[in-house]
Amino acid sequence: MLRTSIRSARALGRRPAAAVAGRQWQVAGTAARGRHFADKKLDPSSKPTVLPSSETNTAERSDIPKPAEPQPTIASEDVPRTPPKPDTTSGVSPAVAEKPTTKTITPPPPPPPAAGRPKTGFFRRLRNFVFTLTILGALGFGGGVWYSRINDNFHDFFTEYVPYGEQAVLYLEEMDFRKRFHRLSDSMHRPRDTGAKVTIPAQSGASWRVADSGEQAGRHASAIDKAKASASKESKAKADDVSVPAAAAAAAPTAEKVAQPAKETPAAAPSASPAGAAPTETSSDKVAVVVPPAKKSTTKTEEAFKAPEVNEPSRRPPIPPIDPLAVNDAMEPVVQDLVRMLNDIIAVVNADKAHERYGSTIDKAKDELSKVGAKVKDVKAEVEKKAGEQVKKHVRAFDQAAEDLVTRLEAAMAAQEAGWRDQFSDTMRQVHELYEERFALLREREQLIGKQRLRNELLQQAVALKREFLGEVRERVERERDGRLGKLEDLEKAVADLEKLTAGWNEVVETSQRTQQLHVAVEAVRASLEKADHPRPFVRELVALKEIAAEDPLVDTAIATINPSAYQRGLPTTAQLVDRFRVVAGEVRKASLLPEDAGVASHASSYVLSKVLFKKHGLAVGNDVESVLTRTQTYLEEGDLDAAAREMNGLQGWAKTLSRDWLGEVRKVLEVQQALDVISTEARLQSLRVE
Amino acid sequence: MSDTAVSSRQSAVSRPVSEALLNEKWDRCLSNLIVKSSLGLGFGVVFSVLLFKRRAWPAFVGVGFGAGRAYEECNWSLRQAAKDLKKQS
Repeated sequence: MLRTSIRSARALGRRPAAAVAGRQWQVAGTAARGRHFADKKLDPSSKPTVLPSSETNTAERSDIPKPAEPQPTIASEDVPRTPPKPDTTSGVSPAVAEKPTTKTITPPPPPPPAAGRPKTGFFRRLRNFVFTLTILGALGFGGGVWYSRINDNFHDFFTEYVPYGEQAVLYLEEMDFRKRFHRLSDSMHRPRDTGAKVTIPAQSGASWRVADSGEQAGRHASAIDKAKASASKESKAKADDVSVPAAAAAAAPTAEKVAQPAKETPAAAPSASPAGAAPTETSSDKVAVVVPPAKKSTTKTEEAFKAPEVNEPSRRPPIPPIDPLAVNDAMEPVVQDLVRMLNDIIAVVNADKAHERYGSTIDKAKDELSKVGAKVKDVKAEVEKKAGEQVKKHVRAFDQAAEDLVTRLEAAMAAQEAGWRDQFSDTMRQVHELYEERFALLREREQLIGKQRLRNELLQQAVALKREFLGEVRERVERERDGRLGKLEDLEKAVADLEKLTAGWNEVVETSQRTQQLHVAVEAVRASLEKADHPRPFVRELVALKEIAAEDPLVDTAIATINPSAYQRGLPTTAQLVDRFRVVAGEVRKASLLPEDAGVASHASSYVLSKVLFKKHGLAVGNDVESVLTRTQTYLEEGDLDAAAREMNGLQGWAKTLSRDWLGEVRKVLEVQQALDVISTEARLQSLRVE
Repeated sequence: MSDTAVSSRQSAVSRPVSEALLNEKWDRCLSNLIVKSSLGLGFGVVFSVLLFKRRAWPAFVGVGFGAGRAYEECNWSLRQAAKDLKKQS
């Protein structure tokens, strides 16, 4: 009941609101109907129990969907299958039969829309189906994208298995990122977005070369290659632009080359030339020099004039023939200047193409120039001759002067030598005299010192002799004295030995006395113990013994073994011990038959039975209490306290506890006896040692 | 008995002598028995007079209770003494 109502409520409440979904549900609902019937099956069994009044209520509740009922009723009629199952219920009551209908109606509400739609047509249904599918798919995709941003696992799954999922998620993330970091994303995403490969040209970057103004910065293997390349390039350009015939192609590039260096760059000229690079300074000269040969060629022939003139600068060989003009007087700078000037003029003339006009004059000028060179040579030769004569005159004069000077110098040297010799001899004499004087003085002094030394030695000898004599005398006296003193010492030693002897004897006497005293003291103690009728303290005797022993370690230890209570309270006599043993024996005998953990009953029985036991005599054999007691008694009668104590010590349990005190007494007595024995033997030993 | 009792009393003043240990215990037990049984008798008599119309049996029961109690205590003390002995040895 409730389930159906809830379902119907859901079906009517939500699905109708989202009509599409409702329809969907219904379309798939032919099978779903089956479900309804199943529910109904359950319902009929429960229906009879429900009261009609409540039924109507539920019906009303479920009526909320009913507004759509009018149609469903038709539908329900269309579907008459419901009745067969209610048959069972219909038999119960009409009122109940009505309810089932209402019940059946409640599920139908979904069907009606479905029933209405299908009628319209199959295509429409299909369209709806596709539509809903796409929407669902879109929703699902959207949801997936959304959820993949939340859950990492899902993100992996989604991007891997759903087509276009990755792109969508990435796009969304990109959007989000851009929204958050506006600037950053701008700067970041550009390179990422382009995705194009960044290609770095092979000739880019810095290179070792000094930049050439006109040419490419790229590297190249050699100048020749480059020149060729440029030539080919330009030839192509030419072909395009001017369309010169192929025959002129050879001349064209060269013409171009010449034009370039002349107009734009001086550096291009060396690079183009096969001879290699030449410094820029010379290049200007060369250019200047290059021109004249052209001039020559022009003078020779007019026909070859134009082409050769252009050709020549590229060829080197023509250059050397130019110079001969200046070779004759090349050494003269003036002439060189003139030649240069002339060359310049020729160049100018060439440039103006006025060779015919100025050719003759320039030839004249050349001749003049060569003549000027000859004249200059002649002048030079004359000047040289004059100069040679003058030099010869001067050399002669200098020779004469030199000879005079030499003779004069020699005379002066001789005079000086003579003077120096005289001086040297004088000074030598003076030095000799001085030395002699000093020598005499030193000798006198040496003699004086030697005499005095001898005298001193004599005096020392005398003193030494005196000393020796004194020492001898003293030694003899000493020897005498020592002999007498030695005898005295011997006497002293003898006296000391005697004293020692007497002292030793004294000691012996003393020790013997001490031992005697010890004996006496021990005897006194023993006597005090034996004579006493009743226990009496013997502390005084013991103290005396200790004093006499004079810290003899053995005596001290012996006394220490004695229980202090023994000499403070005194020791019981043997008679007393025996007397007490009788009492103890009676008590022990009473407890002789006790088992372990004895109670009142066992105690009483042992007490009674012990009186019935036979008494033994003498040294009985056996470990039982009775025989032990008889043995101790016999030992005691013999006076063997030690054996008695040993016997009593063998008892167990109650017997032992009862005899504990008596055993303690006996032990005390035995200890004292042992100590006294030890001390007396010690005393005897000492007396023996003395002798 | 009387001699031993006297000696035990003398020694009990200072320190129980080892041989008198058992006798002392016996004395205690006996005195205990007398006291407890008399107490039981007294209670029994009182009960018999008050509750049981002067019947005899309550008095006997009282005596029995007292004596039993005394016996049990004596038994316990003796066993305890035995245990102590075992521990000491």
